[in-house]
Amino acid sequence: MSDAAIITTNNLNLWYSGKHALESVSMKVPKNRVTALIGPSGCGKSTLLRCFNRLNDLIDNVKITGEITLDDENIHAPSLDVVTLRKKVGMVFQKPNPFPKTIYDNVAYGPRVHGIRDKNELDRIVEQGLRHAALWDEVKDRLDDSALGLSGGQQQRLCIARTLAVEPEVILMDEPCSALDPIATSKIENLIDMLKEDYTVIIVTHNMQQAARVSDYTGFMYLGKLIECGRTKQIFEHPTEELTENYITGRFG
Amino acid sequence: MKFLKKVNGVFCASEGTARLSALKEQSIKTIFFFTAAFAVIVVSFILLFLLRDGYPIFIDVGAINFLIGPEWAPTAAEPLYGIYPLIIGTLLVTLGAMIFSVPLSLGCAIYISELATPRIKAVLKPAVELLAGIPSVVYGFFGLIVLTNFIRVSFDIPTGETWLAASVLLGIMALPTIISVSEDAISSVPHEYKEGSLAIGATRWQTISRVLVPAALSGIAAAVILGIGRVVGETMAVLMVAGNAAIIPDPIWNILSPLRTLTATLGIEMGEVSVGSEHYSALFGIAVVLLIITLIINLSAVAILQHLRERRTAPAGRKPLIPPGTRQKIVFAAKMLGLALLLVLLTAMSWWLAPVVLLAGSLWFAGRPFMSENTIQKSAFCLIGAATLIVLAILLIILSDIVINGIPALSWEFITQPPMDLGRAGGIFPAIVGTLYLVAGAIAIALPLGVGAAIYLVEYTREGRITKVIRTGVDLLNGTPSIVFGLFGFAFIVLYLNAGVSLLAGQVTLALMVLPTVIRTTEESLKNIPQSLREGSLALGATRWQTISKVVIPPAVPGIVTGAILSIGRAAGETAPIMFTAVVFSSRFLPDSVLDPVMALPYHLFILATNVPGASMNQYGTALVLLLLVIGFYAVAIMVRTHFQNRSRG
Repeated sequence: MSDAAIITTNNLNLWYSGKHALESVSMKVPKNRVTALIGPSGCGKSTLLRCFNRLNDLIDNVKITGEITLDDENIHAPSLDVVTLRKKVGMVFQKPNPFPKTIYDNVAYGPRVHGIRDKNELDRIVEQGLRHAALWDEVKDRLDDSALGLSGGQQQRLCIARTLAVEPEVILMDEPCSALDPIATSKIENLIDMLKEDYTVIIVTHNMQQAARVSDYTGFMYLGKLIECGRTKQIFEHPTEELTENYITGRFG
Repeated sequence: MKFLKKVNGVFCASEGTARLSALKEQSIKTIFFFTAAFAVIVVSFILLFLLRDGYPIFIDVGAINFLIGPEWAPTAAEPLYGIYPLIIGTLLVTLGAMIFSVPLSLGCAIYISELATPRIKAVLKPAVELLAGIPSVVYGFFGLIVLTNFIRVSFDIPTGETWLAASVLLGIMALPTIISVSEDAISSVPHEYKEGSLAIGATRWQTISRVLVPAALSGIAAAVILGIGRVVGETMAVLMVAGNAAIIPDPIWNILSPLRTLTATLGIEMGEVSVGSEHYSALFGIAVVLLIITLIINLSAVAILQHLRERRTAPAGRKPLIPPGTRQKIVFAAKMLGLALLLVLLTAMSWWLAPVVLLAGSLWFAGRPFMSENTIQKSAFCLIGAATLIVLAILLIILSDIVINGIPALSWEFITQPPMDLGRAGGIFPAIVGTLYLVAGAIAIALPLGVGAAIYLVEYTREGRITKVIRTGVDLLNGTPSIVFGLFGFAFIVLYLNAGVSLLAGQVTLALMVLPTVIRTTEESLKNIPQSLREGSLALGATRWQTISKVVIPPAVPGIVTGAILSIGRAAGETAPIMFTAVVFSSRFLPDSVLDPVMALPYHLFILATNVPGASMNQYGTALVLLLLVIGFYAVAIMVRTHFQNRSRG
């Protein structure tokens, strides 16, 4: 790959209650690009994604070997604070999960927990986050309404705004459109395209067309292994592995 | 039925038998309806009989004078029936108990749901359940012997029977209720909120304090209200440690003053009053007031929990109940009020406490911006851990006190001989047998009625107006203080039905009291049976009743049995409902029929502890036997539950 890597995994293995969920995954995630992870259900895409911000720590009985580096720093190093890591690596979940607070408080949550108390500064960050997430015009008059009253697509963009407000380097997206209708999906896809100027995006998706549309790089996973990873155009047009070709052409999956 | 022919050897029903079986179905349904309506009937009977016996006082003295009359002196030459000091007493005891109980419970609940490893959780949860299982008379006994003494010595006052003692003891008794309900509320905050917050880079403590606890707030509020309900309705424990002087503390924050609650008044005076007198009807007037207070408390808790459940199932589109601006103001006002109250109370305990707390508080606020999130998290987790340790320590102190002092009293003679010398010597055999008779009778009555009601509620109706009425009836019954059951049993069964003070009257009273528990637990286990099982059976042409009896009930039996055993445990430890309906203090013989009075362990312990000097050995022995009996029932219930849980998991 020609672009500089921001996240590198080296021989990463993960067992979940004894089940081998990731098998020696080694990949590079290029900076300021959109990388898609595709593969059939249960192949370990989401598990891999949750390794990058160590959200798997929440689950009992998980064992990880191998190395993941972010900006050449091992994210499992004892000196590294997991809170700092998650500040740098934001995440958008499959199902929109706004907190049961107002729209404003949802976006301001991140800056607040990281110690910003100045009201003007918060206002600025909230507006900027919502603008970046292409939600500002829809909600600017009702920032004090509950976030739970928004539509699914708006909720998901709110979650993206919430993530952007912390100014991460990397944004992880775990099938961000799977709960949305086509119109909301296309809004999110346009957004992802804009985001890559400032951020590195890693997106897990079930939908191969989506991967082809939004990503610069694609990794194909199967049964816990990373089968192939490269430029999206090359993966979709000239895959080197037969398994990849079979999946992409819809022969299984 | 058009297709009346033989298909593969299966006979279809003929017209006549079809009609017969429809009739049978209908009558079964009717029977279940009546069992379900029973709870509502009982509630209205309770209200009816309390009002019937209580209304003369509202006429004679006047409702207003009764409520705000400043003096309660029913036995004076010119009797005065003002229950104002009793209402204030109840309020003050409750307030003190909540100040003691809420912080500890919240810390413990957060610890269990968020910080504890699965192994620690497996120890803590049964420990909390154990705390809930200790009978109130045993709490009262512990309070009387240990807690009041401790207070007497440490504050250097003539007697430790004070507001403080009552509040601490009732606070302890409210712990398990508040802990388990709020732990439940925190654990059921959707997992996505937690992940969302952590993924933004919030620390665990920030996630807990800013997302999880706010999201669980209405559940926690309901927990506190249920705790208040428990405290307001408690009789035996409070009357053993509160000193029972019907005065308002002077000054009002003097927590070392004795006081008297509504329930304690009933417990003390009901046994000595002549039936039909003005005093008698005044006591029933108190019961009416008490019932109304607890009804309001419990219905508001139920309403909050209901609101919560609806919000969980239909999340979108609702605006917050109170606009955020107003909400902030309300929260601020509440905080200031709480602070002021706390300071006043601290000043009352010791003059230097308030300044010290104020100083610590301002140091905290001044230092906060300079502290790293890690430091804050560490200190918060320390406090939470400390709260949990205190709760555990309380449990250990109570258990070890009873066990260590009780074991020397235990002997073969003690459990097989009748009491001698007013219980100072001899054994407690008739009391053990009496208690067993009482609970056996109670469960024999409550189980069929409760299971029937639950089957009707779950299997035969959709949610509608009727179920709402029945459910409200069950909730009300559940929240009714045990002493009110006692009064009702006395007025209705002992006097009106002319059963006399008898085993039967006690059994029925206890049965009414445990009925809601049986209904609830049965409902839960019926609801856990997947709908597809019912549909599968109905699709084969089975009738409703065949489906229920052959497919739904068998897998629900473990849950029903667990509920029944829990009810037995609760009934075995209760004193207030049987005090006026079934028991005598001393009886050398076992009852010959259900119309004879009996001895019972909790009442025996109560009398030994309060009325018989010099029985300390046998007090502890009785307390230990009662504790073992009740905990034994609970242990069996938990074992049944886990056994079947493991088996169904596979």
